[in-house]
Amino acid sequence: MIALPAYRVALALAFVVLTAGLARADQLVTDLSEHQIAIRSNFTGTQVLLFGAVEARTPGARAINRDIVVVVQGPNAPAMVRRKERVAGIWINHDSVTYPDVPGYYAVASTRPLEVTTTSDILNALRIGIESIDPGVAEARAIDGTEQMLLPEQETAFWKALIRNRQRDRLYVSVPGGVTFLGQTLFRARIDIPANVPVGLYTAKVYLFQDGDVIDTISSPLYIDKRGIERLIYRMAHSDPLLYGLLAVLGAAFAGWLASAVMRRP
Amino acid sequence: MQIYLPIAEMPVSVLTILAMGVAIGFLSGMFGVGGGFLMTPLLIFLGIPPAVAVGTQTTQVVASSVTGALAHFTRKSIDFKMGAVLLAGGVAGSISGIFLFKALSRMGQIDLVISLVYVVFLSVIGAMMMVESVRAIRAARGGTVPARRGGHHNWIHGLPFKMRFRRSKLYISVIPPILVGYFVGTLSAIMGVGGGFIMIPAMIYLLRMPTNVVIGTSFFQIVFVTALTGVMHAYTNFAVDIVLGFLLVIGGVVGAQYGVRAAERLPAEQLRALLAAILLLISLRLGYELVTTPTDLYSVVDVVPHR
Repeated sequence: MIALPAYRVALALAFVVLTAGLARADQLVTDLSEHQIAIRSNFTGTQVLLFGAVEARTPGARAINRDIVVVVQGPNAPAMVRRKERVAGIWINHDSVTYPDVPGYYAVASTRPLEVTTTSDILNALRIGIESIDPGVAEARAIDGTEQMLLPEQETAFWKALIRNRQRDRLYVSVPGGVTFLGQTLFRARIDIPANVPVGLYTAKVYLFQDGDVIDTISSPLYIDKRGIERLIYRMAHSDPLLYGLLAVLGAAFAGWLASAVMRRP
Repeated sequence: MQIYLPIAEMPVSVLTILAMGVAIGFLSGMFGVGGGFLMTPLLIFLGIPPAVAVGTQTTQVVASSVTGALAHFTRKSIDFKMGAVLLAGGVAGSISGIFLFKALSRMGQIDLVISLVYVVFLSVIGAMMMVESVRAIRAARGGTVPARRGGHHNWIHGLPFKMRFRRSKLYISVIPPILVGYFVGTLSAIMGVGGGFIMIPAMIYLLRMPTNVVIGTSFFQIVFVTALTGVMHAYTNFAVDIVLGFLLVIGGVVGAQYGVRAAERLPAEQLRALLAAILLLISLRLGYELVTTPTDLYSVVDVVPHR
């Protein structure tokens, strides 16, 4: 775990406290401890703190029946799920299902479990919760690459497997109780970002629920990208792959020559 | 200390990778092999994506075979003409291997094929080496000299396109060396190895080359074939991780120095039995994973557009 710099936390808190008093209507004010996460050579995952405040409609009113749900979502990309089958004693990849629009990262934290926060209809409509992710129209293929039809329950098994896999990699996380109120109006949530996160633009969405209805939402961007030498290498490998490959091989050949030059010395 | 690998997109422990490089370098120095066929499975066990393991491993093979080829160059134990013929086959083999690799990864079967090829080659070669070294150890104890193979002509001498290889004192058709080179080149692209462990027996038993030029010539050919393979893996599959390759090369270079020295003090036959045992163990481990029921039948891959 990486400790957040104290000044960032203090800044975020100060921002929240100062701006909270200005609001008239019942609304949210939030900020992230970081808006940019750099993946450098020492990156082993990090944490993002989300701070916020709920400003009550009538000053001095107690925050009752209020729930906060925080959803942090990573860039969408196609993903393929493959199922192994035993063929001649060996487990091989057999059928596959491709989903066009799968978030690379999905974290949901809430003050109370989602099912007591609101109805499943609202959760589905707002795409809150891992079960509400809409991956687009699935395309099933057999081992030889031909398209095939799957029964809904078969397809569901593939989708559940994708969620299970991403949960195992800590890319999909659900933390009921992950949002905590500090007193009447201030709340905070801690979001774990594992080392294997995809790079790209993330959004942190905060929903304010009252008696099961959304009364305010706020969304802030979070940018995760490779930086420094990591970025240089990655970009070069993809934009100039021939030069990159030549450099890698020539560097290796040079190392081999260096080794033999050193060896020949008595 | 952890370091994030930019292409493999995962953090690894620097010490683990260096230690693996040293250990494999030690073995490769000791046995005079490239070590790719040991390193690639180890990288896969560590969780490196198989494609990145194979692509990156080629850089390590380039480094160690350059060292080997230079040593044999100063000893004048390279048959350049034979090397060039093997290389011609190797280049063609490497290119078709890369295409095969790409097609198999698109079909989702590359991990399986890498494992299968490793299981087959490691177990066959491990078993052959084990039998041979045990026989040699027994013969040495009993005082009997193992029977030598006769030098009689075989079917290879009936083939056309004969060429004279002065350094190897051979007058044979170029078809067998080209085929050997092609086969090893293909394996090199799929397995991330130099292929010396296939080429050297083929040169001795099939082409009947004199043993003093076999290793040098094999190193000479491996340098260029793996260099080409490495560039193509980087170009077509984006599968070469320079940071990982750098760590492997450093560890390998250091380990090889000690391996060469250790080999001088240890008996050759026992060494070969040990290497055979290592090969058999790795093939058992890989084979076991192919036949046991996986904990999760489903796996998820990102759909990356291939060029």
